[in-house]
Amino acid sequence: MSEVQRIDDSHARFNLNVWRPILSRARASPRPIIGLIAGGVIVAGIEAALPLFVGRIVDEARTGSDAVLTPILIAYASMFVVFAAGVWLFIDCAGKLATTTAHLLRRDCFAKLQELEQAYFDVRPTGWLVSRLTSDCSKVSGLLPWCLLDFAWCTAIVIAVTVTMFVMDARLALWALTAVPVMVLLSAIFQRLLIASGRHARRISSAMTASYGEMLLGARTTKTLAREAQNLEEFQQLSTSMNFWAMRSAILTSFYVPCMTALAATAGALVLWKGTGDVLAAEGVTLGTLIAFMQFAALYAQPVQELSQRFADVLNASSAAERIQSLLATEAGIQDTARVMQPDSTRIEELRFEAVDFSYREGLPVLSNFSLTARRGMTIALVGATGGGKSTIVALASRFYDPVQGRITIDGVDLRDRPLAWFAARVGIVPQVAHLTAGSVRENIRYGRLDATDAEVEDAARRVRAHAFILSLERGYDSDVGEGGDRLSTGQRQLVALARAVLRDPEILVMDEATSSVDTATEQLVQSGVDEVLRGRIAFVVAHRLSTIRRADLILVIERGAIVEQGTHRELLAQRARYFELYTSQFAADRERAILHTADAQAEKTVASLVGNEGD
Amino acid sequence: MSAAPSPTPLTPPPLATLRTVLALSRAEHHRFAIAAGALFLGAIFLYLVPLVPQAIFDVVIGDESKASTISQRVVAFLGGAATVRESLWRPALLMGALAVLAALAVHVKTRIAMGAAERIARQTRDRMYDRVQRLPVSTLDRIPSGDLIQRCTSDIETTRNFFAGQAPEIIRAVLMLVIPLPIMAMLDWRMAIASIVCVPVMLIYTAVNFRRMGPYFGVKETTEASMTANVTENLTGIRTVRAFGRAEFEMRRFEVTSGAYRDADAKLFRLFASFWSTSDLLCFAQQVIVVGLGAWFLSNGSLELGAYFYFLTVVSMFIWPVRMLGRMVVESGKALAAVARLDEILKEQEERDLDANTLRSALVGESTQKSSHGMHIVFDRVSFAYSGGPRVLDDISFVLPAGKTLALIGPSGAGKSTIVQLLLRFYEPNSGSITVDGIPLAQIARATIRSQSGVVLQQPFLYSKQLRENLLAGVRVASAHDGALESATATACIHETILGFPEGYETVVGEKGLTLSGGQRQRVAIARALVQAPRLLVLDDALSAVDMHTETAILASLRARQHFPTRILVAHRLSAVVDADLILVIVDGRIAQRGTHATLTKEPGLYQTLWEIQTEVADPDAIEEEVSA
Repeated sequence: MSEVQRIDDSHARFNLNVWRPILSRARASPRPIIGLIAGGVIVAGIEAALPLFVGRIVDEARTGSDAVLTPILIAYASMFVVFAAGVWLFIDCAGKLATTTAHLLRRDCFAKLQELEQAYFDVRPTGWLVSRLTSDCSKVSGLLPWCLLDFAWCTAIVIAVTVTMFVMDARLALWALTAVPVMVLLSAIFQRLLIASGRHARRISSAMTASYGEMLLGARTTKTLAREAQNLEEFQQLSTSMNFWAMRSAILTSFYVPCMTALAATAGALVLWKGTGDVLAAEGVTLGTLIAFMQFAALYAQPVQELSQRFADVLNASSAAERIQSLLATEAGIQDTARVMQPDSTRIEELRFEAVDFSYREGLPVLSNFSLTARRGMTIALVGATGGGKSTIVALASRFYDPVQGRITIDGVDLRDRPLAWFAARVGIVPQVAHLTAGSVRENIRYGRLDATDAEVEDAARRVRAHAFILSLERGYDSDVGEGGDRLSTGQRQLVALARAVLRDPEILVMDEATSSVDTATEQLVQSGVDEVLRGRIAFVVAHRLSTIRRADLILVIERGAIVEQGTHRELLAQRARYFELYTSQFAADRERAILHTADAQAEKTVASLVGNEGD
Repeated sequence: MSAAPSPTPLTPPPLATLRTVLALSRAEHHRFAIAAGALFLGAIFLYLVPLVPQAIFDVVIGDESKASTISQRVVAFLGGAATVRESLWRPALLMGALAVLAALAVHVKTRIAMGAAERIARQTRDRMYDRVQRLPVSTLDRIPSGDLIQRCTSDIETTRNFFAGQAPEIIRAVLMLVIPLPIMAMLDWRMAIASIVCVPVMLIYTAVNFRRMGPYFGVKETTEASMTANVTENLTGIRTVRAFGRAEFEMRRFEVTSGAYRDADAKLFRLFASFWSTSDLLCFAQQVIVVGLGAWFLSNGSLELGAYFYFLTVVSMFIWPVRMLGRMVVESGKALAAVARLDEILKEQEERDLDANTLRSALVGESTQKSSHGMHIVFDRVSFAYSGGPRVLDDISFVLPAGKTLALIGPSGAGKSTIVQLLLRFYEPNSGSITVDGIPLAQIARATIRSQSGVVLQQPFLYSKQLRENLLAGVRVASAHDGALESATATACIHETILGFPEGYETVVGEKGLTLSGGQRQRVAIARALVQAPRLLVLDDALSAVDMHTETAILASLRARQHFPTRILVAHRLSAVVDADLILVIVDGRIAQRGTHATLTKEPGLYQTLWEIQTEVADPDAIEEEVSA
């Protein structure tokens, strides 16, 4: 099973290695760590000292000397101020540690993702990766300070209480401690069981969420199949088994917590039994000491409970930790090697595919023995049915992937021997679906070249005929494009993407023409923008528009990962073979589309929003 | 998930929500009553425990004559001071026994309350699932999916936590505060009052504080959402980022959004730090008052040691639950908001048929399931508009006799799919009538008309199951044999493809399995419709992602099938419609032209224009012209 499909989210055993990246980032904030531990120890120390104070107060009050009692009471009250300060300190430090660590983790995961190659993203849905950076990072970082704190607090309180008791009265201390081994044993047993049933419950819970999602996505299909009853039955199997595991956890908890409190009370009873005898026998045990011991005996239950809970939390979060660790440990498949050399020439003259084999998954070849030479000033149109390998060719030309066999060269040098940054600076890409980021139109165009002046940005927009529409927007170049550019129409987004590519002035241009239909007026606008973009570069176009295809210097008909025909438009038409077939059907399709998709984009939008939100 | 975060309610929820809470838990009320009873008993036992040592201190160790009545009664119960001095295990045993009883009560309460909460959660999950899947399409159009999923998951979880946690906790805190009052008053009324002076201050402080923190939770949610949006946007456009070599630029952007979230979160932590430390101080102030005042009373002899011990033990028993009370109440407010959101959905109208008596189930095919008769469908002056929207269909009339094929062609958005959706009763027409086999559609149960129709939508949905299960998804009887299955997949030209998959028909598809291409999904859906042996086959632009060759093959084998239902084809390509018995050209919601291929090609209009393109393309002269251009 792949990383994505694994839904078990906890491990049976503790593995320190998966936590290392998290711990190393936490170490970047030493002060909060010190504050956290200090706060925990202060609080524990005071909690351990309080019974002593109460004991002293009882003894002094009985002998009735106000002179001694008053300062003790003042000291007693002032300890609480220190206690509260300790609480404030550890929560504040926990906040600093948790949020800083989470931020560092997210930042490093984000940086890692920027560096990884396309293949990594092919097999991992965006939503899945987003949760790694959001919920996983928050989960592990949120847990960290509380584990540290509880460890410090529990250790301190157990040591302080135990030492104090033994110093005061070793025999009574032993009685007070009798319940502790039972508590530890009980906690170990119950936590094991609770972890197991919690794991089942979480697994079913995510299956249930998926089931709700599927129900909504497939709502129309379900209606057409009239299978609501079966769907519910299948869902009820999940909700029943959820109920089973949740009940199991509930029952376990309902035994565990009362057992722990009863044990603590039992320890108190034992102390009362043995201590009263000592007091009566006047063996140096005062009533104050007895009262202090009864309170001490009750102090053990909480640390034991807390520690075992934290242990369970850590195990439950170990999958999140592991996913983060494995993301951070992933080596980028495409990166600069030691052989990389800076080129001498300034402009790229030729890009060549030499006997390239490629497959996304082993055993399913997409390209085999593919060769092609592209020279400066050439526009190469790739045509053919979907799944033939056109997009793969342009993805290889953009170095989203490296060939499995063979090589791609630039002016005779293997692309793998050129720096990534150098190549990236020379490639411009216009994707089928223009990806814009939330921000102004200007910012989006400037993404092509960050140091471009406003005048240059506008000039680029003019060149792709986008200037007029941009000015017609409410705030011109400063208009917000919305999330993913959703405030612009498809055509407008394409124009912005073209302007962005032109601003970059790339030597190699890779374009995946949009198949989605836009209204005729915009389509003409986009077309003239495209012509501008293609001029004077090495251009690869996955072409869908006849006008682009007709103007290409070389047309490649790609089928099953190979070139089946190549030539100019006229040569290929004259051959009356595959290109001819494609062309005629394409021609018909284009004309049909022009007629059937009338310019009424608004109507289409309405219908789409009302009818079309099904599917995946 | 982009579902809008639900605002934290700052005003107490209306009474109606409380009524919903009662309604949701109706079947469990007796269990909650038992749980409350157990809580009550448990609290009593718990407060009896420290009575034992305090009695021992007073009567056995101290001066018996000065001991309180309660102390004397406790010691008398144990057999008198002399006996107790002889056998000190007796009070210890009583103390232990009381503690065990208290623990037992806690066990009973936890088990019953959590069990009841789980049952409510389960029932609500099932109800929500069924309600949502039976909502009319118009309602599903209106409510975003993300919102619905949030209601089904986190809102139910919040509700469960309310029943399992907050509600019992509130009751517990109140009981823990109220039960010791009489005992305390009996021991010493001055101390009793002193023991609770800080309680009102604490309740007010907590409630005010949590309300004041509300906006900061909001800021945290907003910054988190914008960080998530940032990540999502970056990852969606990772190709663009890479293509433009913008990793560093993106990093700087992300550090800003992630940093803003970190700061908002840290701010909340700081607020919590002051809240918890201050409320700790309040709790301790209460303890100091008891300890100090008690010590003073003790030293001037007006308070016995036992009572003193009792007060200082008891204060620490109720002060911490009370501290949580304010918080629990505020959190219950959130839970009630979740309940209100669930209730909104549970109140939505399901798709509802007429009642059984008025329903005419006597569709022709009903009695003979395997009837090869197609449906006879008549649309008479049907008009339709989505609620509040412009008219989508206007005056649509046609007769589609059993076993015939109707083709709908026209620009997208013209209303072709809507005709199909009215027939399947996804929506109801505003005027006009639709009859099937002579019966008004409104009198036919939705399940009947749908299960007798095989429908393939443009973007068909496949369940995350095996292909075989998907193909049989619409079949009522489990008797559909492999022969029927394979004949259907062969017709849809997907049989070979399926056999090529690693697990063949057992291959799991969808989210958890193999991702099929759009064309493959359409073909599986066509086969799924055929396996149903439907009396009406609807292909709603169902071949849009299938290449031309395959489309031709599928259409040909559909024609060759023996079982011949009535067919409706919604098409964007002419090639699919030429053989239809009736072709309707739909433009702007109206029938612009009607006829057959033979008549429509002779009639000036959209159809003819489209046909001319086809012929023009096939015309060698035009190509020659192109070549020599």
